Amino acid sequence: MTDLVSNLSLGLQVALSLKNLGLCFLGCLIGTLIGVLPGVGPIATITMLLPITFGLDPVGALIMLAGIYYGAQYGGSTTAILVNIPGEATSVVTTLDGHQMAKQGRAGVALGIAAIGSFIAGCVATVIIAAMAAPLTKMALLFGPADYFSLMVLGLMFAVVLARGSVVKAIGVILVGILLSTVGTDLESGEERLTFGWSEISDGLDVAVVAMGMFGFAEILRNLESTQARDVVHAAIGNLLPNRKDFGQAAAPIARGTILGSILGLLPGNGAVLGPFASYTLEKKLAKDGSRFGKGAIEGVAGPESANNAGAQTAFIPLLTLGIPPNAVMALMVGAMTIHGIVPGPQIMTKQPQLFWGMIASMWIGNLMLLIINLPLIGLWVRLLKVPYRLMFPSIVLLCCIGIYSINNSPTEVIMTAGFGIFGYALLKFGLEPAPLLLGFVLGRLMEEKLRQALVISRGSFSTFVDCQLWSGACARPLSTGLLVLSAIIVVIAVLPSIRKSRDEVFVED
Amino acid sequence: MADAPETSVDETPRGFIKSPLDFGGGLFLLALAVVGYIGAFNLPYGHMNSIGSGLLPKSVAILVGAFGLGIMLQGLFIEGDRLESWGIRGPIFVLGAVLVFAFAIRPLGLAIAGPLCVIVAAMADKDTRPVELVIFSLIMTALCVGLFKFLLRLPIPVFPPGYGPF
Repeated sequence: MTDLVSNLSLGLQVALSLKNLGLCFLGCLIGTLIGVLPGVGPIATITMLLPITFGLDPVGALIMLAGIYYGAQYGGSTTAILVNIPGEATSVVTTLDGHQMAKQGRAGVALGIAAIGSFIAGCVATVIIAAMAAPLTKMALLFGPADYFSLMVLGLMFAVVLARGSVVKAIGVILVGILLSTVGTDLESGEERLTFGWSEISDGLDVAVVAMGMFGFAEILRNLESTQARDVVHAAIGNLLPNRKDFGQAAAPIARGTILGSILGLLPGNGAVLGPFASYTLEKKLAKDGSRFGKGAIEGVAGPESANNAGAQTAFIPLLTLGIPPNAVMALMVGAMTIHGIVPGPQIMTKQPQLFWGMIASMWIGNLMLLIINLPLIGLWVRLLKVPYRLMFPSIVLLCCIGIYSINNSPTEVIMTAGFGIFGYALLKFGLEPAPLLLGFVLGRLMEEKLRQALVISRGSFSTFVDCQLWSGACARPLSTGLLVLSAIIVVIAVLPSIRKSRDEVFVED
Repeated sequence: MADAPETSVDETPRGFIKSPLDFGGGLFLLALAVVGYIGAFNLPYGHMNSIGSGLLPKSVAILVGAFGLGIMLQGLFIEGDRLESWGIRGPIFVLGAVLVFAFAIRPLGLAIAGPLCVIVAAMADKDTRPVELVIFSLIMTALCVGLFKFLLRLPIPVFPPGYGPF
């Protein structure tokens, strides 16, 4: 406990320096600015803004990136409420009641409660991260290559379960992601794989390129086709601060959403995505009058928004303690950290405590800042959203191009991003979900590395992953075995008809 | 990507293929698997205690192909959705704009590549208004130059090499 306090105070010292405070502020501001653009989710936002952190020292860069991340999240909610266009999967739920509230002239209250709920969730999640980081980092030292491999298998299985639609399609798509991750020079033998003699990709494909193509450009293409008119709220924004009655209604959902989101965010395989859906379903079940949902119930905004933010933050835990990115956004964070010479994993906390705790403390400050920035700036975001889409999307295209180009000053990567744009568009048109693919791509390389290490250690025996004797209960690798058994159970559950039905219901909620 | 199978969205009673969407999706995966397998064709499998560079790509490609086939078969027999129609205008102009940017940024610089990119992208929308667009593209580019070149000092070329004040 004293450790926790002293660690956090070290972190606060770092994060409260004038420069870092400024970077945190700037990150939140620009992140919100880009995240507010319709159809631009956190993935595209972070990719676009990655280059602006290049000139900074590692601590400052990470603090700014984290700020961009929260800003992007919050910007997405603003768009969901005001325009009814979710920037990403997790804000879909917010559109349901948030946009209805906006239509009833209560947009201000919806935005206010989203910000307040997110702030409370962020505070709780920050404490959870700080408290769990040390024990989890110690646990990470017990992980051998086989355990890492099995943990990533578990993560991918979670992604399968969390994907919408057919389980078979989700697995197929994840495998495509793994296949893409093998493109480039093999680290052990130096042979080129799947490059077809094209030297530009001999270093492998960049996460930013794949992510921007599949989530930035493909999303623009989809938005252009949607015939549904964007309906920016014309009604007055109204009072920003919720009144006492609103607070009374929203308090419990915020608390429940925070707990749900924090737990789900910890899961490998993008559990954070599930938070808002789960919270919405829970609130609807608990409500005395469930029929108010979908017609502007404040609980339907407060709960999911809190869950969203809590999950977005606890998703840092697997990355910071185990070095495994649980979702695409965190994979971009890995990319960003690598650019600054930081290798995410258990060693950060011991070797660079300033960086580690500074970033965690800045998460809390970032959340506070979002509250301060957004409440007065909502008018500005509304005006930005009124820019017609015919001008908005070409600007997004230009910003994406500059962002991708600036990462490596490479025109070729811009061309490749266009390629992944059409690839992502094709996936959408064939009813295949891009999110699991990206996770497979992100984890693929790490999985192959760990697989090889594990097999070298076990001298080529695959049984190292489940080295257990049922009759005696002796287990050489209990972690790996347990994780693989859990993965198997999850998949079996996912294909059971009754669960499938309720899972579909969660996603088709409207 | 080039292999969009029959995009014909025909009338209600389905023919041989019960779910064109699943069939197409499966075919798409199968095509990717074939490309992946060819790309890894010459790589060695190695043996178990030191697996070769080809083991993972080849076995994953085979699995992708298997799942693709499975989804195709499912599409043959289980009633499902039709293929969505593919937009032409959107992909051509949006991705065309990206390519224009990629090819123009080095030789011409952001001051020229920027407006070009914005204008080409905007053609993806039918409601484009030329005058408004040109003015807007110039303002956007100026803002980008200010932000990326001056504020953030990124090494992005603004003018053709040898021309321009900076």
